[in-house]
Amino acid sequence: MGKIIAAIILAAIISSCTSIDCPVQNTVYTVYKLYKADGVADTLSDTLTIYTYRKNGSDSILLNKKTKAVVLELPISYQNHEDTLIFELKDTFNVLRRDTVWIAKTNQPHFESVDCNISYFHEITSVRWTNEAIDSIGINKKDVNYDASTEHFHIYFKARN
Amino acid sequence: MTLQRNTSIYISRLAISLIMLTAYVAMHAQNKIFAVQKDTVPFFKGFSISIDLAGPVMRTLGDYGEYEASLRINLHNQYFPIFEIGYGSAKHDDEVTSLYYKTQAPYFRIGCDLNLLKNKHTGNRMFGGLRYAFTSYKVDIAHPGMQDPVWGWDTSFSITGETCSQHWIEAVFGIDAKIWGPLHLGWNVRYKRRIAHKDSSVGNTWYIPGYGKYGDTRIGANFNVIIDI
Repeated sequence: MGKIIAAIILAAIISSCTSIDCPVQNTVYTVYKLYKADGVADTLSDTLTIYTYRKNGSDSILLNKKTKAVVLELPISYQNHEDTLIFELKDTFNVLRRDTVWIAKTNQPHFESVDCNISYFHEITSVRWTNEAIDSIGINKKDVNYDASTEHFHIYFKARN
Repeated sequence: MTLQRNTSIYISRLAISLIMLTAYVAMHAQNKIFAVQKDTVPFFKGFSISIDLAGPVMRTLGDYGEYEASLRINLHNQYFPIFEIGYGSAKHDDEVTSLYYKTQAPYFRIGCDLNLLKNKHTGNRMFGGLRYAFTSYKVDIAHPGMQDPVWGWDTSFSITGETCSQHWIEAVFGIDAKIWGPLHLGWNVRYKRRIAHKDSSVGNTWYIPGYGKYGDTRIGANFNVIIDI
């Protein structure tokens, strides 16, 4: 009898050690992977800077002078219906090419627990872009949430000499 | 001479038959003595009602808890079909995350306990049992507002009265001790496992009446005052 009670108490103690998996931060990221036109992963030789415009009109740099970019992780706004991102590429001759990317999406608040900050999950509905340096962008995964293991966008830059 | 011999054989056979008959009657009588030891405890032994003291203490000292009572049928001090009903509530306003959560709803459980003691008629009981439980509840979740760290826009959200539900099962182990007359005190430990649920549109729910905090499994406990009727 004593053994049974001890086993039950032990099981209760072990089982009661539950934890809530709060994300370290409540920003949900989008992942972009660079590809060549033939579908091979690309490494960008130019220097890449990405920024957006804040509510007050000022710039907010999301990626600063990144070289040899292969995969990009960029934030996504909580409640904007469409995010505008400016891609600036500067080559070794200091020639600047600038593209604008518009990402349309839905916004869904996500409640985990009262102990965790609110997050916003999204579904990407469309993407459009200008064609200065970018050839095309494909949506690989629509849902943007805590899972950033699969890239959301495949981005193809124009061939460089 | 032959007549005497026949008479002797007859008497011997008669004597042996009488001895065997006597032995048979005695054995049969002994069997009857064992057979008449009937179980005098009736099959239906009445009801008991109980209230849980742990839930109200939790509700008073913390942000959530339950008020719970149960009706239990005593069948031969061995089987105890039980119906439990309660009212759970939670109200939490988090100082760190500024999240507000509120719910209150009834819940019920139905199941059966088995008295595990070898001598079941002492008045003390050790139970093992199973429950099925269900609740349908409404939640209010709100956040007063926060600023998007990159874009700088203020965001807020709230849901009010959104209907959620949950089905779950419980494995129960408990002990009741007879204190005085019909009064018992007892405790039980419950392993709860969710089998189906409908959460809010914004993701999870935090507290489920009767089940406790959100999760696939939980451990709970009750401390009961029980009165046999």
